[in-house]
Amino acid sequence: MGKWLKCNQGVGVILTSLFTALLIYIELSPWAHRKLRDGFTLGFFPAVAVGLSIFFSLIIIFDSRRREVLQGLEPFTFTSALSAVLAVVVSWLYFSLMRRIGFLIVTPFFLLLAMFALGAQSWRNTLLVAVFMTVIVYGIFRVMGIELPLGILSGVLPF
Amino acid sequence: MFQPEAIIEALHMVVSWSVLYWLVVGVVIGVGVGAMPGLTAATGVAIMLPLTFTMSTAAALGLLIGLYKGAVYGGSISAISFATPGTPEAAATIYDGHKLMRMGQGRKAALMALYASITGDTLSDLITIGLAPALALVALKFGPTERFWLVVLACTLLGALSGAHPAKGMLSAALGIFIGTVGTDPVGMVSRMTFGLWWLQDGIHLIPMMIGVFAIARMLEGAIELLRKRGVARKVKESISTALMKSGPGLTFKEYIRTWKEMLIGLFVGSFAGMLPGLGATVGAFLSYSVAKQVSPKKQIGSGVLEGVAAAESGNNATVGPTLIPLLAFGIPGSSTAALIGGALMLQGATPSPRMFELYPAVVYSLFIILLAGNFVNLGVGRVFAGFYARLGQLPRQILIPLIFMMAIIGSYAFRGNPYDVVVMLACGLVGYGMRILRIPDAPLVITFLITPMMEANLRRALLINRGDWFQALFHSPLAIGLLIACIVLTFLAIRFEVSKRLSTVAPKVTQKNS
Repeated sequence: MGKWLKCNQGVGVILTSLFTALLIYIELSPWAHRKLRDGFTLGFFPAVAVGLSIFFSLIIIFDSRRREVLQGLEPFTFTSALSAVLAVVVSWLYFSLMRRIGFLIVTPFFLLLAMFALGAQSWRNTLLVAVFMTVIVYGIFRVMGIELPLGILSGVLPF
Repeated sequence: MFQPEAIIEALHMVVSWSVLYWLVVGVVIGVGVGAMPGLTAATGVAIMLPLTFTMSTAAALGLLIGLYKGAVYGGSISAISFATPGTPEAAATIYDGHKLMRMGQGRKAALMALYASITGDTLSDLITIGLAPALALVALKFGPTERFWLVVLACTLLGALSGAHPAKGMLSAALGIFIGTVGTDPVGMVSRMTFGLWWLQDGIHLIPMMIGVFAIARMLEGAIELLRKRGVARKVKESISTALMKSGPGLTFKEYIRTWKEMLIGLFVGSFAGMLPGLGATVGAFLSYSVAKQVSPKKQIGSGVLEGVAAAESGNNATVGPTLIPLLAFGIPGSSTAALIGGALMLQGATPSPRMFELYPAVVYSLFIILLAGNFVNLGVGRVFAGFYARLGQLPRQILIPLIFMMAIIGSYAFRGNPYDVVVMLACGLVGYGMRILRIPDAPLVITFLITPMMEANLRRALLINRGDWFQALFHSPLAIGLLIACIVLTFLAIRFEVSKRLSTVAPKVTQKNS
């Protein structure tokens, strides 16, 4: 079962199910049946696109390459999926804190955390890179006329 | 189509210190992006795209085109110096380039890569400048029906030729069309497909989507690979100082001229691969390399000769200009990076369409001037800083990945100050990561996303003109029928002869022959 899920056929079945659920959602949504002045319904184009996605997912299930095991999925485990989601959550957390506390304060901590999580070893070099890059990026954006959130430093810094 | 006053206006736009400055910055960053394994031209352009909205059109084009050209060349630096291609399109350069380096002729190989890149790039830019206006003239004769079929043909080609599995390419294209329908209906101006989220009423914006797919997805993949292989340190033992510094033997003019045939092969094969939606620089480089190998068996390409470097590098850089031809003539990008440049033009208010030459001639001519000027800047930067970039290519990914994450987050937020753009960017990053591990190509998704409004608007316009008669709207002209037949025939041929699979296996075949 595990191996089947990692071959094209397994992936095709999962994709077909997802797109079918999406098509059902569109068909059940009241807005999709609203008719426009030119005769089209609002849901026509989204439904056509999802219909095409279902069609090509079905081809993946039945074509000659259906038994091919995907190289990208071979080392993929539950931990990999969890790591990807965690990375996105941490990124969102960084963004939220950056807006409240300020880019210049939060970014070095985010960079330090991420660099150590990925295996950086030298404390001194990592800290230097994190602080240096934060200041450089802030400076570049400022020169470009783009304001990054200063947060609690907004009344403290002279610029 | 030749408009002297537009050329003068374009010269006014381009000839300024600000544009030159951004062009140099673009090339400097681009060569660095190319030299760093794991980063591609598309990632670099996606990250820099939000910065361009405060610039003038010419400066924005200078930055992005400089970056694109620099990145495609920059990949060769790490390919030659430590047998790791900085970008996928430089993979073909390893075979001869790295062998030359091991023979103590690294500097010669690096210079050959630079000169072949510039030669292929400059000549293909001239092809672009000659061909794009002619095709635009043809495009002007198209009505809504023909434009609709042209977009369908582009989607078909993209799907059928991208990646090794046509069904996955087509699925990616269909998914791009679906994402393109999220937001507001382009004719009725009523919101649709928003999943009940008010902030999706304006649709999914190009910038967060592209940053998500091209930067976050790749960085997620890199980060997870790094976590898996933690502790297994990759040691680069080659001495870069002997390879690219001034101590090694340089390239003579005679040696450069000797490779004219390979550079010419690279020019034509690369230009063709660039023009056709779905192929791109990697296929251009490998096809040129394998064609050159077959045309000149006596030169023993693959054994560490300059001709191999010339064919591969001329082939990949020759795609840069021509990839913009379908964008300028029909409003359809030829590659993911061309889609990003199209996105930058949209940010500047010059939306690519078949009427691009008519509506924004000065922008088009300034793009042509920047294409040519970028080659000289690329030559200068590559000539002076190759050694520095070879060292930069060894920057640990533990440092690089968090930096790209940070740039992606602030880039997608800063350009509109909308926090939901960051949500969209991260979500697109997850979708893109999923596509990467499922081996579904991302280029068709992004390109069809960009051209879906054009496809939908043209179909609906055709129906309005023909009073709702579908048959008349779709098949009223011989050209429309011809385009439909081309769609069917090309799809049949691509699937029957497994064109995409053959193209994607050119690389392993070349590797086997060389081993």
